[in-house]
Amino acid sequence: MADKPTSSSSFDLNRRQLLKFAGATAAVGGLGLHAGLAGASESPQGARDDADGVLDIAIIGAGIAGLTAARDLQQAGCDSFVVLEARDRVGGRVLNHDLGSGYISEVGGQWIGPGQTAVADLARELEVGTFPTYCEGETVILGGEKGRLAIDLKGTFGTDETVAAKLSDLSRDVPSGSPWKSSRAAELDKLSAGDWLAQQNIKPEDRSGWDTSFTLTCGVPPAKMGLLHFLSMVNSASCDYMKLDSIKDSAQGTRLVGGSQILCTRMAAQLGDKVRLSCPVREISGWNTDVVTLHTDQGEIRARRVIVAIHPALCNQVRFDPPLPEGRAALQRAWPAHSPARKTAMVYKRPFWREKGLNGHTIQVKGPVLWAWDNSPPGGEIGVINAFIVNAQVPSDHQAAQRVLTEVYARSLGDEALSPVAYHEHDWGQADPWSITCVSAIPPGFWTTHGESLRPSCGNLFWSGTETAEIWAGYMDGAVRSGHQSALQALSSLRQA
Amino acid sequence: MKKKLLLGIGVLLVALLALFGRDLVGLYYLLDHIETTTKAYEAEGAWPQVADACTGCHGANGSSLHQRYPSLAGQPAAYLTAQLHSFANGQRSFPNMEPLAKTLSEDEISRLADYFARQPAIENHGFQPDPALREKGEALVATGACTACHGATLMGQAQFPRLAGQGVDYLQAQLDAFAEGRRTDPTGSMKAVTANLSPDDRKALSHYLAALAPAAK
Repeated sequence: MADKPTSSSSFDLNRRQLLKFAGATAAVGGLGLHAGLAGASESPQGARDDADGVLDIAIIGAGIAGLTAARDLQQAGCDSFVVLEARDRVGGRVLNHDLGSGYISEVGGQWIGPGQTAVADLARELEVGTFPTYCEGETVILGGEKGRLAIDLKGTFGTDETVAAKLSDLSRDVPSGSPWKSSRAAELDKLSAGDWLAQQNIKPEDRSGWDTSFTLTCGVPPAKMGLLHFLSMVNSASCDYMKLDSIKDSAQGTRLVGGSQILCTRMAAQLGDKVRLSCPVREISGWNTDVVTLHTDQGEIRARRVIVAIHPALCNQVRFDPPLPEGRAALQRAWPAHSPARKTAMVYKRPFWREKGLNGHTIQVKGPVLWAWDNSPPGGEIGVINAFIVNAQVPSDHQAAQRVLTEVYARSLGDEALSPVAYHEHDWGQADPWSITCVSAIPPGFWTTHGESLRPSCGNLFWSGTETAEIWAGYMDGAVRSGHQSALQALSSLRQA
Repeated sequence: MKKKLLLGIGVLLVALLALFGRDLVGLYYLLDHIETTTKAYEAEGAWPQVADACTGCHGANGSSLHQRYPSLAGQPAAYLTAQLHSFANGQRSFPNMEPLAKTLSEDEISRLADYFARQPAIENHGFQPDPALREKGEALVATGACTACHGATLMGQAQFPRLAGQGVDYLQAQLDAFAEGRRTDPTGSMKAVTANLSPDDRKALSHYLAALAPAAK
């Protein structure tokens, strides 16, 4: 029934809200005033607020979601808002590492893919170009000390596509934005993806591939990944597994020129001093009253509406007074946060592997490297091998880690790999307390228990962040969608006030 | 004619081996590796297993090479069970572990605890202790009666964890957490023990314990 990649009712609702708002804006036109929006005087610096020092909207989090929401507010003519960011930088889970000479390598989320139209539109609006992930040539599969196979996987991870097709079929019944509303939710949410895979007669040589792709895409191997949630992810990918978990023509297929963080730095530049850095919110009080108070390291901020554009697990670090409703509190407490990925970048003078017919990709069977890929700049002027690694299978010492990884790459790409010019790594679980985790390893039983608490606002708090997206939740695209959605909700709510 | 054909095949074989020899050998070893690892894996049960979810942070067979993510190998089953319960009910807090522990059934907890308790503890080769700190740590262990609970060889027993060969950053983070009241233990002993330790003492203890080779059980 739900063969569309979203629950159509709420999507239509959003569109109606958008049209309603567009109409209202057009109606007030040149007056420059919007019913219910605070502030009449133009202020050259920062957010306008009422004489009583109350902002219309405060946004928590300057990642893609929070900045998209802020940009929408600005474009809608709302000037009475601020974006509060705990870190001393914008971007959240997207981050560029500067390699020097104008080159970067992405440290966090980095790809966009087919059907991810919201982030693609944002990139176009911000004049950020795109280019394909390099995958022409042979991928090298390593196993043990001497096992090695170089094989052209045609831009895929070598997945058994008959099994993938079954998952694609099943995903038609699981709406991406509300998996708990699937007609088969009760039955599917009892199972882990592992329970399902165990029934598919997966051959020993293919098991490691499934383990790896679940670890990369879901943040956990199949045994602890909820089947219902995984199917909702496939549903986001137009009900096509290969658009989710492959490279070419898939969610890992396209990169952004200048690195994904450029989306955030450009939005932040347009927002100017509306973005306040190093300003973690420690407590939110009075969220059920007309004016919400945010207690930050830079003092109190009061606002009529608050857009919470941070990961649910991060919400547990904020004190809520009064406590949040039990449903929402339980959702936050149970939200999985055990995917603290360590992502690495090995830098070489040139992408030397390309002239050998290799695409620079390495997959290791039960080894420290889950997947390494060619992350060189668009022109291939320098060579960069990025990798997701098994955190505990690579030493924490920087030099030791570099040595372990170059030895792996030497076996897959050749001895030139032993002489990198730089090595960089980032463990999102350790670098700072402002991410905790990456993708959401939603376990079995989660959505049928907590689903209804995901989106409803609590008092004047509006939940945003990629985890709340109707399509592509967990991806940069979902972050953009959730930003748009929360801006509409907050504005609409102010108009009704 | 036949002879020529045979000769041709021979030449072809030599050429193929020269061309693909390295590849064929590599493929042989890859398949061999898959067979060996599959066999070892299936000795614990069918694929896929819940313990797979632990590997990322706790390492293959529960031995972590990362100094901040603890090894579970050789930890007493009673300790592992108690910690998983504590994470699940919020008595012990760590943002990555709490939600994950909540997903585990009693049966899963007991099987995981049993599995990791059976894995051999390996030496923490990746850590080079500071000699002075190590010496100070050794003296502190002797005076602090750590062995009373953690066992003569500090390999742990009952609800008390193995300390020998554990990651240095993990050890220090735990000692700091006990000292600052962010982690508590049921008997309250660790609160008492850490009350008299300076930050430098805690560092010294961590260096000594991380570098201590695990004794055979």
